[in-house]
Amino acid sequence: MRNLILEKIAIIYLRAILIVSVWLLLRGHNEPGGGFIAGIIASTGFILYAIVYGSTAVEKTLRYNTRNWIGSGLLIILIAVVLPLIWGKPAMTSIWMTLPDSISSYVHIGTPLLFDIGVYVAVIGIILSIIITIMDVLKWNS
Amino acid sequence: MILLAHILLPFTYILLALLIKKASIKSRLAVLFATFNLLWALALLPIVQFKDIIVVQVGGWAAPYGISLVADRFSVFMLIMTAIVFFLVTIYATQSVDKARRKSGHFFFTFGILMGVNGSFIAGDIFNLYVWYEVMLMSSFILMSLGGERAQMEGSIKYLILNLISALFFVSGVGLLYGNLGTLNMADLSAIISEKSHMLTHLNPALILMVVSFAIKGALVPFFFWLPASYHTPPPAVSALLAGLLTKVGIYSLIRFYTLFLYHDAPFWNQLILWMGVLSMVIGVFAASSQFDFRKILSFHIISQVGYVVIGLGFYTVSGIAAAIFFLAHNMLSKTNAFLVAGWVKRQKGTLNLKTLGEVYKESPVWGVLFFISAFSLAGLPPLSGFIGKYLIIKAGIEANYIVVALIALFVGLFTLFSMVKIWLEVFWKDVPKDRVVKIPEKKRKSQYMLTASIIMAILIVAMGLWAQPIVTYCEQAAVDLLNPELYIDRVLNFSR
Repeated sequence: MRNLILEKIAIIYLRAILIVSVWLLLRGHNEPGGGFIAGIIASTGFILYAIVYGSTAVEKTLRYNTRNWIGSGLLIILIAVVLPLIWGKPAMTSIWMTLPDSISSYVHIGTPLLFDIGVYVAVIGIILSIIITIMDVLKWNS
Repeated sequence: MILLAHILLPFTYILLALLIKKASIKSRLAVLFATFNLLWALALLPIVQFKDIIVVQVGGWAAPYGISLVADRFSVFMLIMTAIVFFLVTIYATQSVDKARRKSGHFFFTFGILMGVNGSFIAGDIFNLYVWYEVMLMSSFILMSLGGERAQMEGSIKYLILNLISALFFVSGVGLLYGNLGTLNMADLSAIISEKSHMLTHLNPALILMVVSFAIKGALVPFFFWLPASYHTPPPAVSALLAGLLTKVGIYSLIRFYTLFLYHDAPFWNQLILWMGVLSMVIGVFAASSQFDFRKILSFHIISQVGYVVIGLGFYTVSGIAAAIFFLAHNMLSKTNAFLVAGWVKRQKGTLNLKTLGEVYKESPVWGVLFFISAFSLAGLPPLSGFIGKYLIIKAGIEANYIVVALIALFVGLFTLFSMVKIWLEVFWKDVPKDRVVKIPEKKRKSQYMLTASIIMAILIVAMGLWAQPIVTYCEQAAVDLLNPELYIDRVLNFSR
């Protein structure tokens, strides 16, 4: 049986939670938050979506296979780790971009942000691959 | 970067394996990355000869606060042996492991093991060592249960539970140590302990927890039960890799801990470690001679051989530790090769029960000779590497006035020879029993890559026996470094780029 209200709520919740997770990801370096937490929170949105619409529908919204999500997350982490070598610094050193004075007080762009984005993508991929596998095994809403 | 590459190379393979679907490309990439890893490990050799100790402070954070990666001669030697074993087992696995397993991530998890093993060899602080242990444990557990056969599941559950207990001991020890001294950097800890050697008994609870965890990992005597219960169940290429690498990491950590911390309280630890080694040698070899499964005999022998390494450490002289290092390296090669031959026998005959096998030598003399080389190297026949290893250990024991221990080691060697001869006679020599006809697979499958890997390994075993002198000299240098932890402490703590 279709439940129209739940379906609408799932979509709205997914959108809202994605915005919240991106906000958490960006504030993460100096305040509570960060890639891991943001990734977990974002995946709750996808999990509700999966429970309501089924696992095939959530795979379609993700566009890419969960394995690819994990892989690209790890790739971004690898880039963030080896990027400092270009500047002749040891791997995993934080490199920050120098930005114009007008915004430099509240915008910081550097390798830790890239690292966090990688963690974010990888965590979403890992959690969803676990959930989708469990749903497929239990034949839950498919 | 020079050391970080040992972690980043397997990491890169892991992420590529996630992005690529085709099994054949995955296998080729695995061989390629294993080659890179080997070349990189060999490249470390001249660097470590020049610098004595390679230190990398990750992210540019100074030693007791940041993550230090440290490689001295011992670590580099272990990295090279790991890379050789891993490279050859990868070549072997491209043919030996079935396509379904390769597709569902066989190489993915073997590289997880490689990352964990490499990481533990270069970890400069105890918590990182613990993390690499976990990486290794998870990958090896999945690798063991991959495929989901009934026997496999039974073995891997035992493996997982006992190793989780070991991880629990380790992490509680880490917690206690940190609570007492406020640091986990190995060099820093060693420096603090040598200043306050009167309070060492105070630290013994933490150290005992960690040593027990290493003993479980290394399958030393009261804690070895998980190993023979699980190593004979997974596909041969997997058990060869696990037999070659995993227990050695536990022993590596034990040697590292002993030479950095435990030697301060030598009256307590020395006898404990020495007799643990002696018991492992004796019990392992006796248990092995009562078994009738090819891989189970070899598994019990791992326990016995690990005992040799530990008594070498227990002598605590330059020649003793050099012998232990040499023996560790010899054992990695010979043991892995014996498992590789067992894998081929299993592929051809479908069983590894000694009672139903026979006449394999007639079928393939080449594999017979390969088994002969690795088995009799394990037993310690000249001119193979095992002879040099045992000779060095026993000589060191006599020099250090542990005559009884040296005699026991000789005696155990005799029993090793007995069970190797038993496998040789039962599997390769005797006629196939008439009443136990085994179904032979309908067509002979190709095994040229498996053969190549095993032949290279056998050549290395012979070479290690014939040209032992440079290797022994290197091991002696490594042992001198291990016995002077001041150098290690100084290089890590006063690191400057």
